[in-house]
Amino acid sequence: MTPKAPSEIWSAEVNGEPVETLITSNAILLDVLRDQVGTLGVKRGCDLGTCGCCTVMIDGDARLSCLCLAGQVSGRDIVTVEGLSDGAHLAPIQTCFAEHGGSQCGFCTPGFLISAQALLTKNDSPTDEEISIAIEGNLCRCTGYQQIVDSIRAAAEIHRGEVEPAPPASDPHPNPHPEGPDEPSMPPGHAR
Amino acid sequence: MSAGYRQQPNSSRKDGKRVAGKQVFPPPGSGGSRPVMKERDLDYIPKSVGGKEHQPAGSHIHDRIRTGTIVGKSLPLVDSNAKVTGQAWYGDDVRLPNESIGKILRSPHHYAKIKSIDTSKVEALPGVIAVATGADSPSSFGVLPVTKDEHAMAVEKVRHMGDLVACVSAVDEATAIEALGLFEIEWEILEPVFDPKKGLEDSDEPIHWRGKYHLSKTNVQKRVFQEFGDRSLVENPYSSSHGKWTMHGVHHGFTEPHAVVAHWDPNGRLQLYTPQQVPHYTHRALSTVLDVPMHQINVIRTFVGGGFGGKSDPFPHEMCAAILSRKSGRPVRITFDREEVYWINRGRHPSNIEVKMTADEEGRISGFDIDALIDGGGFASFGHVTSYYNGVLATAPYELGSFHYTGARVWTNKPASGAMRGHGAVNTRCAVEVGLDEMAEEMNVDPIDLRLANLLPPHSRTITGFRITSNGMREALERVRDGSDWENKFRKLPLGKGIGIGCGFFISGSGLPIHWDPNRFPHATVHIQVDMDGGVTVHTGAADIGQGSTTAVAQVVSEVLALPIEMIHVRSHESDTSPVDLGSYSSRVTFMNANAAIRAALEIRDKLLNAAWDILGYHPNTLVINDRRIYYKHDPAIGVSYLQALHKAQEDKGALISSGAYRSPPMGGVHKGAAAGLAPAYSFSAYVAEVDVDVELGLIKCTNVWAAHDCGKALNPLAVKGQIIGSCHMGLGQVLSEKMVYGRTGHLQNANLLDYKIPSIHEMPHVEPIIVESSDPEGPFGAKEAGEGPLLPILPAVVNAVYDAIGIRYNDLPLTPDIVYKGIEKKRKKLKLEDATELPNPRYTHGPKSIELQKLLKKRSEEHRKRDIARQTTEDTSAYVNGVLFGFDPNIPLEDQLEGWRMATEPDPEQLAELGLAGKAWLKKEQREMGGEN
Repeated sequence: MTPKAPSEIWSAEVNGEPVETLITSNAILLDVLRDQVGTLGVKRGCDLGTCGCCTVMIDGDARLSCLCLAGQVSGRDIVTVEGLSDGAHLAPIQTCFAEHGGSQCGFCTPGFLISAQALLTKNDSPTDEEISIAIEGNLCRCTGYQQIVDSIRAAAEIHRGEVEPAPPASDPHPNPHPEGPDEPSMPPGHAR
Repeated sequence: MSAGYRQQPNSSRKDGKRVAGKQVFPPPGSGGSRPVMKERDLDYIPKSVGGKEHQPAGSHIHDRIRTGTIVGKSLPLVDSNAKVTGQAWYGDDVRLPNESIGKILRSPHHYAKIKSIDTSKVEALPGVIAVATGADSPSSFGVLPVTKDEHAMAVEKVRHMGDLVACVSAVDEATAIEALGLFEIEWEILEPVFDPKKGLEDSDEPIHWRGKYHLSKTNVQKRVFQEFGDRSLVENPYSSSHGKWTMHGVHHGFTEPHAVVAHWDPNGRLQLYTPQQVPHYTHRALSTVLDVPMHQINVIRTFVGGGFGGKSDPFPHEMCAAILSRKSGRPVRITFDREEVYWINRGRHPSNIEVKMTADEEGRISGFDIDALIDGGGFASFGHVTSYYNGVLATAPYELGSFHYTGARVWTNKPASGAMRGHGAVNTRCAVEVGLDEMAEEMNVDPIDLRLANLLPPHSRTITGFRITSNGMREALERVRDGSDWENKFRKLPLGKGIGIGCGFFISGSGLPIHWDPNRFPHATVHIQVDMDGGVTVHTGAADIGQGSTTAVAQVVSEVLALPIEMIHVRSHESDTSPVDLGSYSSRVTFMNANAAIRAALEIRDKLLNAAWDILGYHPNTLVINDRRIYYKHDPAIGVSYLQALHKAQEDKGALISSGAYRSPPMGGVHKGAAAGLAPAYSFSAYVAEVDVDVELGLIKCTNVWAAHDCGKALNPLAVKGQIIGSCHMGLGQVLSEKMVYGRTGHLQNANLLDYKIPSIHEMPHVEPIIVESSDPEGPFGAKEAGEGPLLPILPAVVNAVYDAIGIRYNDLPLTPDIVYKGIEKKRKKLKLEDATELPNPRYTHGPKSIELQKLLKKRSEEHRKRDIARQTTEDTSAYVNGVLFGFDPNIPLEDQLEGWRMATEPDPEQLAELGLAGKAWLKKEQREMGGEN
């Protein structure tokens, strides 16, 4: 059996952009996203639906792209980790993962971010139990999950508006040639 | 020289006014998000140099260069933004133009000779680009120079199911997979060996042949014998314990499967992209296998999606990709599926361990007797070292009367075992800590007090001669004891609830660089370059595998130069630009690379201070370096900006360059194997775990862990806590659910993440990470490792807690419900109970003797506590070697000690009969002694 060339037209909205590409009828969504759409942030960990690295949001729900035929979701709204930030600003869940140690090697991080974001979009005050259930399908071998839960809790606070989001690291630096503040900070011991 | 450069008040305020005595420094314009100088953060400047930071007892050699910038502050990893945006590029994310897809043909047999391979049908398949077999890779390689026993593809025979036979590259994955079915191979099936005990016997066809060094005709790859101390102390013990353990193989379970991209560029150089913990070994191995000089190869480390030791060998698939690319001239990408990850393995060794230990009537540990037979699988990998680690890393932190160890690693027809987090130390550590608990129970004393009364002090030597510098073991034990409310829980909880203790001790960087003499070349080198823009580029070969080594290196440079961390750029991906480095294994990176980075940064700092001296006229000793500014200590208004100093220093020379290296001091003994386990510093840890055991179902749930780890100094507490919690997770997996299951026919039955049970969030207990800082005299700002050591105590802590809960000792890990249930049933029947809920759980049964002993232990640990503080603060600098507790004189060399003292690395003939299971390897003779191959 010689593999057949892709022949079916597949279209969907990926991260807000319409995408159209040729696929084989048995193409897996994970392969289409990685190899054709180019969203390499979607990770392949096990191909078996066990690790959760390939989690993407389909119409707002967290789904495993390795267990999903691309044909099943044509025309749907797909969000990958690349679609979480608006380009210039990181989403709260992203900054929180960075700041609370939710990401170490980072390979499982895209999956966790999507699972967490899907939770927070629907429920901005999740209990610890709800957080656990939301990420039970994601395996992380580095963090032991504790700092991931911390990150999600912190992001929920931002979603609820209780905490100002930290200035995102992706912000441009402030004026590189400022005039300086009115009350300059001085080294200790300076005679006033 | 100018008379001094006084910063002028800023006259460009919006209201045009000047404020007397308040000055603004000109913006340094040197990047960073903060435009003006920050005040010194006194909370992070040690007390000894005028700050407020509390300092633990110990030496503080780096106090002078602390600037309060970043060391000790919790900080996100510097590459975390790449990771949270999905832009971090792992192995399979490297997509080069015109790439082809490689696939590997794997052996369907456990052990077989390849009589012939016919590739004609493969080559004829449209879409196939290149084919390679063992004939294309005649040179052997291996991670250790003494055991080069691997080939890119099987040359003569396959050694385990899943061993590499051939590889093919094609236009797409589907074609490559189809091509794999077209190889025609004639096999001659050989009799496989799966049981490591059988590996000790002679076989018709040993899995490897080592010529004159081969041990008879066995499958023994390495045997070790070590005996230290006074064996007469073991006789007539007051208390003893004996444990026989079966530990199954455990896999790292990193989430990223192995992947590699090879590309021979138009200049004829190989560019190899691989997620490697140790790119340098791959570099060396590639050179050997491809027969190409190392300078024609550039190994590019991608982001590594978890390593834990599983990505530290040079791998055959890396060679395959390079061979296919050389044949075709096109980039080749090979990505493993999860099953292949288990075939290449390198996980923890399946082990049969026997531990006997004894204590005398004063509660001193008079002897450890360890026998470890470890199952190496098809190849040597790091096994040579593992064979030693199983014994030598189980001794400290305790002071022992004697130590006797026999170990053997055998080849079997299974995927190769190798290095995994806590390399070689985990299994025996578990057995030893549980043994101590058993002795404590027999003596009716508190197991924590027993440990506290037998600890080695700081600045001492272990029984095998390792030099211990800082030692936070005592503090760690005390803090978990107090944090967990141990006194009110241990032996007092109801049936099904239990609490247990475990300790650990691990190397902070292997003292022996595998490929070279540490006295000639340094362990680690770091280069720093600062150009006119003020940004600092750091070149290091330290491989960040998620633990944050890049962050650690950036942090120390940032601290020394007092620059915001945004101005430090670490380049560590390419062997072309990074100095040679041994990468991320043996918990060496923070200790060795950060030390090298400090040295390089100090050189830059000296140049900046000298330039400031030139401008200001004040000697560097009187200058303070702070956030992008250097100023006069007694009048901070006199100073220069960082850029001014930098540009002054650059005059006539251009960019500032420096190089720093780290080499370990001479340490340890000279006996055979003395270098294994030798490290410039050791970390210590103590955990208390609390478990719930469902006595009817046999289900164990670990609910709480108090985890204290002595990491010297937490450069980045957030990262250290992450390492501690993550270690708990991995260790819990091994003790409760993870094992590689080999069936009756030797087939690996659970080569996927569904059947290989990694704990999910629901299985995780609450972990309370406790950072103990003992300030190591040689560590960077006092730091030691925090990556592997924290894994060790969790296993015994859980096993001991299970005993406290239901009164049953298990010696077969993991404690899956079936095993636990069997143990409960056995005990229930033995006690003739109706119901498992009636099981008695262990309680103290104090008698006059045990109360006396308990008092003695408390008294001794209180005395030792004072002794430790005196030694840590170097009030007491007398020599201390293991054995002082037993009356040895530390000033006499080990070999001239009292009469009973012995140090042996080979058994006496009369000892041969009484050696344990692994010790049987000593009954065999090497071929050269038998008059075999010369």
